[in-house]
Amino acid sequence: MEYFEEEEYSNSKFDMKVWYKIFSYMKPFKRNVIFGIFAAIVLGAIDTIYPLINKYAIDEIIETQSLEKLPYFIAFYVFIMITIGFMVFGFIINAGQVQQKLSFALRKDAFKKLHELPFSYYDRTPVGWIMARMTSDSRNLSDILSWGLIDLSWGMLMMTGIIIVMFIINLKLALITLSVLPILIGLSIYFKKKILKAYRKIRKENSKITGAFNEGIMGAKTTKTLVLEEQNFNDFDHLTSKMKRHSIRAAMFAGLYFPSILFIATVVTSLVIYYGGIDVSTNVISYSVLYLFIAYIGSFFEPIMQLANILARFQQAQASAERIITLIEQEPEILDSPEVIEKYGDAINFKKENWEELVGAVEFENVTFKYSKGETVLANFNLKVEAGHSVALVGHTGAGKSTIVNLICRFYEPTSGRILIDGSNYKNRSIGWLHDNLGYVLQSPHLFSGTILENIRYGRPDATLEEVIEAAKLVEADNFITKFKEGYETEVGEGGARLSVGEKQLISFARALLADPKILILDEATSSVDTKTEKSIQRAIKIVLEGRTSFVIAHRLSTITSSNRILVLENGIIEESGTHAELIKLEKRYFKLYTNQFKSKVIEDSKNG
Amino acid sequence: MNRINQFFKWMKGNKKYYLFAALLLISLQYFRTLTPLFIQHTIDSVILGKESNLPIFIKNMMEADTVTKQLFLVAVIYSLFALMRVTIMFIRRMINAFYTERIAYNMRNTLYKKLQDLSFSYHSHAETGDLIQRCTTDVETYRVFIGEQLIEILRLVFLISFSIMQMSRMSNEMTMISLLITPIIFTASFVYFLKVKKIFKRVEEAEAKMTTTLQESITGIRVVKAFAKEKFEIEKFDKHSKKYLKEDFNLLKIMAVYWGGTDFIIFIQYCLTLTIGIYYTVNGALDPGQFIAFLSYVGMIVWPMRQLGRIVGDFGKTTVALDRLDEIMLKESEHDGDSTNTPKITGFVEFENVGFQFDDDDVPLLKDISFKVNRGESLAIVGKTGSGKSTLINLMIRLLDNQKGSIKFDGVDIKDINKKHLRRNVGIIMQEPFLYSRTLYENIRIMNKDAHEEKVFKAASIASLHNDIKGFEGGYETMVGERGVTLSGGQKQRVAIARMLLDDKPVVIFDDSLSAVDTETDIQIRTALKDHWNNTTMFIITHRITTAMEADKIIVLDKGEIVEMGNHESLLRDDGIYAQLWDIQTNVEYDFMKLDKGVE
Repeated sequence: MEYFEEEEYSNSKFDMKVWYKIFSYMKPFKRNVIFGIFAAIVLGAIDTIYPLINKYAIDEIIETQSLEKLPYFIAFYVFIMITIGFMVFGFIINAGQVQQKLSFALRKDAFKKLHELPFSYYDRTPVGWIMARMTSDSRNLSDILSWGLIDLSWGMLMMTGIIIVMFIINLKLALITLSVLPILIGLSIYFKKKILKAYRKIRKENSKITGAFNEGIMGAKTTKTLVLEEQNFNDFDHLTSKMKRHSIRAAMFAGLYFPSILFIATVVTSLVIYYGGIDVSTNVISYSVLYLFIAYIGSFFEPIMQLANILARFQQAQASAERIITLIEQEPEILDSPEVIEKYGDAINFKKENWEELVGAVEFENVTFKYSKGETVLANFNLKVEAGHSVALVGHTGAGKSTIVNLICRFYEPTSGRILIDGSNYKNRSIGWLHDNLGYVLQSPHLFSGTILENIRYGRPDATLEEVIEAAKLVEADNFITKFKEGYETEVGEGGARLSVGEKQLISFARALLADPKILILDEATSSVDTKTEKSIQRAIKIVLEGRTSFVIAHRLSTITSSNRILVLENGIIEESGTHAELIKLEKRYFKLYTNQFKSKVIEDSKNG
Repeated sequence: MNRINQFFKWMKGNKKYYLFAALLLISLQYFRTLTPLFIQHTIDSVILGKESNLPIFIKNMMEADTVTKQLFLVAVIYSLFALMRVTIMFIRRMINAFYTERIAYNMRNTLYKKLQDLSFSYHSHAETGDLIQRCTTDVETYRVFIGEQLIEILRLVFLISFSIMQMSRMSNEMTMISLLITPIIFTASFVYFLKVKKIFKRVEEAEAKMTTTLQESITGIRVVKAFAKEKFEIEKFDKHSKKYLKEDFNLLKIMAVYWGGTDFIIFIQYCLTLTIGIYYTVNGALDPGQFIAFLSYVGMIVWPMRQLGRIVGDFGKTTVALDRLDEIMLKESEHDGDSTNTPKITGFVEFENVGFQFDDDDVPLLKDISFKVNRGESLAIVGKTGSGKSTLINLMIRLLDNQKGSIKFDGVDIKDINKKHLRRNVGIIMQEPFLYSRTLYENIRIMNKDAHEEKVFKAASIASLHNDIKGFEGGYETMVGERGVTLSGGQKQRVAIARMLLDDKPVVIFDDSLSAVDTETDIQIRTALKDHWNNTTMFIITHRITTAMEADKIIVLDKGEIVEMGNHESLLRDDGIYAQLWDIQTNVEYDFMKLDKGVE
């Protein structure tokens, strides 16, 4: 789990462009938006009319002492009852759908974009950042654009309605009542901002506490062995105390907010009682007017608080909108040219009928590669590999091994120079074509939730069970798979959590073998597994590499010695290149690298012997 | 009874505040039901000259000779009354926040402490995600329950009761009529929220599945791209996203029906009360002001009824959360009843017929292990995975306790040594060490916060780490862990070595702690360490036979027993497992040497 922190507020003022883009997402379900707003407006109108009906009852029935008009009153009421029932239903169902459909659409587009972006994007963007865009941001945004927007229409209409009715009924009392409106709104916005800010701090502290729990649990053994319990607890206490302080502070703002609004409303009611009361006692107005104004003051609270809430959240939502739009509009740096897409299809829709068969000859022609930051990793790099040959890449971290591999995979493209596959620049073919013929076995194997069978089949969904088992047998994975009660139907858990590292590795070999790629990339793991699994892995590697062009970031001597060519890399330059025997003969870097391990004893022994 | 205890045990020390806040809350509800009476008083008593329903003492304050004066007094008293009400309201909220946060704070700290003190075997079986869930979500559930829900129930019950009381002072029949439909409102709400839980769960599950798909696809983007499976992933995500949309829509539909339906029922009650109220008022059984007050009181009953049903229907969550927390809290701490002895440990270690077996296992992991290691000596332990090497180490620092035989440090059985003292003296460098989310500098200094910069740099140099660190953009100030850079396995191991170097321990254990470091660096570090720790007793667990061969003593474990003991030469001569392992591991290298010689 990653705990990701970031700025929650947009720096810029209202940004029309961003909102326009978001609104255009709502076009396909504008019916929901319109119906939702319609229902909200009707409800707002009813909230305005409802006290009027009661006033009617007082004036026309109670005051006239005649029940004659009671049926009208009941009829009115039944009508309102039914309308409210339906409109509340319509309000919720439409607002909810806007929310659901909008976040669905945003997620869908963002997810698609994520799969078009090149690998370099993932190098500089933490997974947590992406996850936050896809979850909390899309939720935030769709919340405010559905419930928020529709609540806003309700509140606005109700307030306007009430104000109009007030002025029509009694100017003096209307002016008295409305005199506090600016104070109410100002106070509301002030408090809402303070409260939101305080909650943001709480959330931040909270994620730190979650992180600390995570650390406490994950690091339990280390903490015990280093006897750091007290020290860790003190650090933790520091966090929770801070959390407590922030929470109480937030509670203070929230605790001041409602009572102060309530107090202001009561003062206004008192004023209405006084001035209205005098008019009633002198028969200028009926006491039903007094009732009406007091009822209206009561229903003023909610829309004002809603309004303040929406306005305060708006800024936050704009930040969410900006970030999502940035993601969706991110330009992939590596993209096939329109002509290529025309002929071979894009990353999602392949036109396999036009694909040339990939044989597997790979050539680097004067390839230079710089990262966007500017540091040059490869300069004028040349390499020619025949189809079916295996190349072992050897060298320190940062020597350029991963870069070469990433370039072959077209996760990155050369800054200058060309990479040829079967004699033609790979940019003239589609990325899909290359990747469909490519296999990649990672240092830390990544499995997907699902069964072992599904995972092995990942690269070739149409493979039969027999083919899957055959592949698993070849890499010696069948042994442990059949030991599980469910065999090939065993669930691997999230990210393959229920399997050991060695088991995951063997499954990823089977996966690669079944996909039968023409070019295979293997990033050998250094993590230590037990000797038996190690032997299985070594044999699996041999089988997987057989008969295909392969590039191996190698650590195992057995892999290295059996490859057709060994490249010893240093700072992006091929220092030595050749077969094992040739390089030993050189007695330079490679020789040193692999004699080192036995410096202390064996060499002396064997040389003396 | 147990349930009640369970509810209140986390409130320790806060009960009196809780009680006080509850009393304030109850009085507030009473005050709230007085407010419609001010209006009633104005209309009925001041204007129409009829009965006022306000309590006498308030009524008396508003006596005056003219209507205008009376109205003025009503306005002033009403405002002052409101001021008192909101002040109490604020105080109650603050007290509420104060104890709620204090309870949450105590819970978090207690849980954290407990988690650290739970035994190693507990942790090796525990699922991190689940534990974190308990410590965060379940604590939050209880916090909300104590701070909001329980209070809310109290509030609603008293608001409804006081409203009924006020109403019945005006008209008993009207009160009965105003309560006619309320049981239906409560029941509808209660049953609905009881039922809807299942649907909620389905929505949550669908959402979790979608999130998992998303997360896996992003973390595995390399695999996705390399297999050209973008389309497959997009379709998979689309499927889960649609499923979530569908489940969420189902929930939405019944939510809409619930809110729309209950609003409808609530307005039936309004209609009923008003119609009959009008009838009574026209008849003269009710005064107009009272009629208007009834309008308010109906609202103070029907809406709270719905809310009450909702909360009660939603109750189960808290009991589940508390049960889950109890599962952690009732586990025994590994320091309960630990010895307080802190004898001096110099590094002389003896194992006498040590045996160990997990309770739920029928095969012992270690049998009859005996050996001695003198101060400053090194002992290598070799064996296959599962041969018992790690268990042996875990016994030495009492992460596990041996059932048979005894382990002695300088002649004292470790069961008579305080665990923390023992661990302070016996350092262990693990294969997969954990780094804390702090800077690299702080991580290295973690056991010795006063260590000087030069000492830290020196330790890092010995561990061949200094240059790596200098290569980071932030140098020693680079953050590691959750929020910082991800170090490679080898780098983590070297940090673990460096941090051990800053603390002088008589015994140091290497648990395959250089496995992820390349061979060249491995040798470099080991050579440097040998100089630094020449007086330290060292235990070395390793897969690399070339590492083991340099130890003063080597033991070979197989299926929990010592099958060979000696030094490199003698073990090779014995031609047992050690010699076999030696052959396997150096096989290729021997070929390589032959090749090498051939070239020469």
